[in-house]
Amino acid sequence: MFELIGISPVLLFGQLLIGLINGVFYSMMSLGVAIIFGMLRIGNFVHGAQYMLGAFGAWYLLHLPDIFPGLGLPSLGYWWALVLVPFGVGLIGALMERLFIRKVYDLEHAYGLLLTVGLAMMIEGIFNVGYGAAGQQYSVPESLRGGINLGFMFMPLYRVWVIVFALLVCFATWYVIERTKLGSYLRAATENPDMVRAFGINVPRMLMLTYAFGVGLAGLAGVMAAPIYQVSPQMGQSIIITIFAVVVIGGMGSIFGAIVTGLMLGLIEGLTKVFYPEGSTTVIFIIMAIVLVFRPAGLFGKETSAHHPSDIAAARPGSFLENGRLWLIVMAVGGSILPFLVYPVFAMKMLCLALFASAYNLVFGYVGLLAFGHAAFYGSSAYVAAHTASIWGFPTEVAILSGVAAATALGALFGWLAIRRQGLYFAMITLALAQIVYFYAIQAPWTHGEDGIQSVPRGYLFGVIDLNEPLNMYFFVLAIFLCGFALIYRIVRSPFGQVLKSIRENEPRSISLGYSTDRFKLIAFTLSAGLAGLAGGTKAIVFQIASLADLYFMTSADALLMTLIGGVGTLLGPIVGAIVVVTMQKELATLGSWVIVVQGSAFVLCVLFLRKGIVGTLEDFLSRREERKRIAADGGKASAPALDSEAAS
Amino acid sequence: MNTAQSEDNIIVANALTKRFHGFAAVSDVDLSVRRHSIHALIGPNGAGKTTMFNLITKFLSPTEGRILFNGRDITTEPPARVARRGIVRSFQISAIYPRMSVADNVRMALQRPIGSSFHFWKSVKSLSVLDDRIDELLDAVGLLASRDQAAAGLPYGRKRALEFATTLALEPELMLLDEPTSGLGHEDVDRIADLIKQVSADRTILMVEHNLSVVAKLADAITVLARGKVLAEGSYSEISENPEVVEAYIGGSDD
Repeated sequence: MFELIGISPVLLFGQLLIGLINGVFYSMMSLGVAIIFGMLRIGNFVHGAQYMLGAFGAWYLLHLPDIFPGLGLPSLGYWWALVLVPFGVGLIGALMERLFIRKVYDLEHAYGLLLTVGLAMMIEGIFNVGYGAAGQQYSVPESLRGGINLGFMFMPLYRVWVIVFALLVCFATWYVIERTKLGSYLRAATENPDMVRAFGINVPRMLMLTYAFGVGLAGLAGVMAAPIYQVSPQMGQSIIITIFAVVVIGGMGSIFGAIVTGLMLGLIEGLTKVFYPEGSTTVIFIIMAIVLVFRPAGLFGKETSAHHPSDIAAARPGSFLENGRLWLIVMAVGGSILPFLVYPVFAMKMLCLALFASAYNLVFGYVGLLAFGHAAFYGSSAYVAAHTASIWGFPTEVAILSGVAAATALGALFGWLAIRRQGLYFAMITLALAQIVYFYAIQAPWTHGEDGIQSVPRGYLFGVIDLNEPLNMYFFVLAIFLCGFALIYRIVRSPFGQVLKSIRENEPRSISLGYSTDRFKLIAFTLSAGLAGLAGGTKAIVFQIASLADLYFMTSADALLMTLIGGVGTLLGPIVGAIVVVTMQKELATLGSWVIVVQGSAFVLCVLFLRKGIVGTLEDFLSRREERKRIAADGGKASAPALDSEAAS
Repeated sequence: MNTAQSEDNIIVANALTKRFHGFAAVSDVDLSVRRHSIHALIGPNGAGKTTMFNLITKFLSPTEGRILFNGRDITTEPPARVARRGIVRSFQISAIYPRMSVADNVRMALQRPIGSSFHFWKSVKSLSVLDDRIDELLDAVGLLASRDQAAAGLPYGRKRALEFATTLALEPELMLLDEPTSGLGHEDVDRIADLIKQVSADRTILMVEHNLSVVAKLADAITVLARGKVLAEGSYSEISENPEVVEAYIGGSDD
């Protein structure tokens, strides 16, 4: 046989086939995500979990007799699964839409994403409890075993079937949406629901069915994937971030674009495995970055209209809860007492995460940008601080500062790429970019893969103060935290902060006043990354370890959760949130894998019932009380409508 | 066009076209605005007036055509830079910062030219040097008494006045007002109209306006748009006698 530049054709075509298989799954999945995003404006993060449900559905059907012994149920094989499971998963999707997703249609896009992140954590967490990390085997159906010998390679029949069938499904979906009356109603319903309602169409039901359909596609992909990949609770988690990147690359507004992009990226990924295996995990994310530079709207996307940042801040200007000077003193005093009440290590964890969440709040709360990749800054700083402290022998404070410098540089780069897009896209892009760092850390020699960098020396502060002494370490961390807090407070209350606030409240107006708003967003993003790095670097010294968990997207989700629970855009919210989350994690540690389920439920509950967070809700209470007092003082005269109702309209 | 004429014009738009997915919202429009005049853009709904505004302020990029501001080609410039050159617009829906105080709204405009907007290490107190100017501007629009109130709490007409004060704060060379009197009561209409007249002394104003009595009172020149094209141009008396304009306006408007 011939050889191509030293690559054996068996390897080449083998990888191309794997790439094609991955590609059709990317197509099917991104098609579902694109439909749900296009029609419902929901960034369906739970899509990966729904795909996993499909695979488990097939596995359950096969093992019905084992699961329900004594009922005399038959074992239903692949073909049954192929028909039943998509409906089953679609039905679960319809139920999720009815119970949760419907509630956030009219809210800022951020909430839809947060809600689906929470749902994904719950579903995957529950399966994780049941099955752990181990995968279940699902064998190829009898009728599709064997293969075709093409001379240069062996082509398994099942794979041929998957490619052909998946492409058929994709094409049929495209046809229905772009070429039929039903599809035109669907498209019209997203443009103008009232109009379609006037035609006598039940719009809520239509949206529910659309969601169920998109989810059903994920379920179908899951069934088809079961014999190829292992059926495991984690199978959806890794694919969803890739799918988001595919959607960003393809661009919204084109069903056809989603299909083609998925296939193409699968093939490119396969080729990368042949020619540069180290890059295969990140190639899609890197392509995404390149596409963003040259074609921000995506390969098939149309020019997007300006979408201004979400304003979901819950702070009340002038409230004593926003008085940073007062709280700086309170926290300095409280922080000094804390290590005598709880374990210093526990208190230090709280401080690091509170600083991390406050840094995150700077972009999410004060600029209104839904960033979803802050783990990249937190984690990279942790690694750099750990490496410079343990290998290069940097003094502790210099090691932390090196981490901050790395995080700041990374923040400037990621910010520069991500601010080209807004809203949900911004979230998807930051998430995907952070994934590059994560995969880098898995492979690079100096990060030591799964082990991370361990036994980082705490060292001596300024060469004299022994940080191995717990209280010394603690007060150093407290000082860092207070400095970070003071800096954030200053940023927010500076001329620069005023511009950020104006961007959040009305970006077009700020542009019309002559502010290049993107530059302000970029600086805020970079500052936020640097501060997240300060938290991450400090954490590496305190716990003497930098690990993959610091870079994992769950760490980004933690920052979001803490900010949300405490109160987005409030000064104290992220700190309160950090206290709640860290305490919760500690109290629930005995529950093992259930922690993730509880955390997912916390997301869902916050989005549904506590959108203003603890501090925001307290602000509402205080402002109502003030209002009542004022009315009483005015002799019961009704006053102007409250600020909130006006601002929300 | 001869040179003398173009020097006299602050804005010259040549053959401006904007298509959205094939639909031409504005097609082949020429527009020249004379320096230190009040120029009104009128026409029935959907005539392309707001699109013209968005094109001139670069909130939209023209599909074809060229825009010159003081003889300089600004066709490819980003909107914030155009604003810094001195073209400042208002919006159809009151563009205010609802949760900021009335004074801080105006401060946002005054803050940019003093150059500390990127200073994240300074206190906001450094901006209190602007207080006197803020009070002057608020006084001019009758909002001084509400200066510390949140802008969201103002009645509609007062919000428009605040937006006007903020736009004025930048001392723009060219001020674009998108329906400055829409939705206002009689008293507020008169007040805004007087203000426009007052501030037009040393600047140019291009306005979209539905209220024809305001147009009659203020405008030196009028361009009538219909279906994305220029239907007529001239003074109010010329325009009001143009049968095509009367037809388009009375036939097509819902006012």
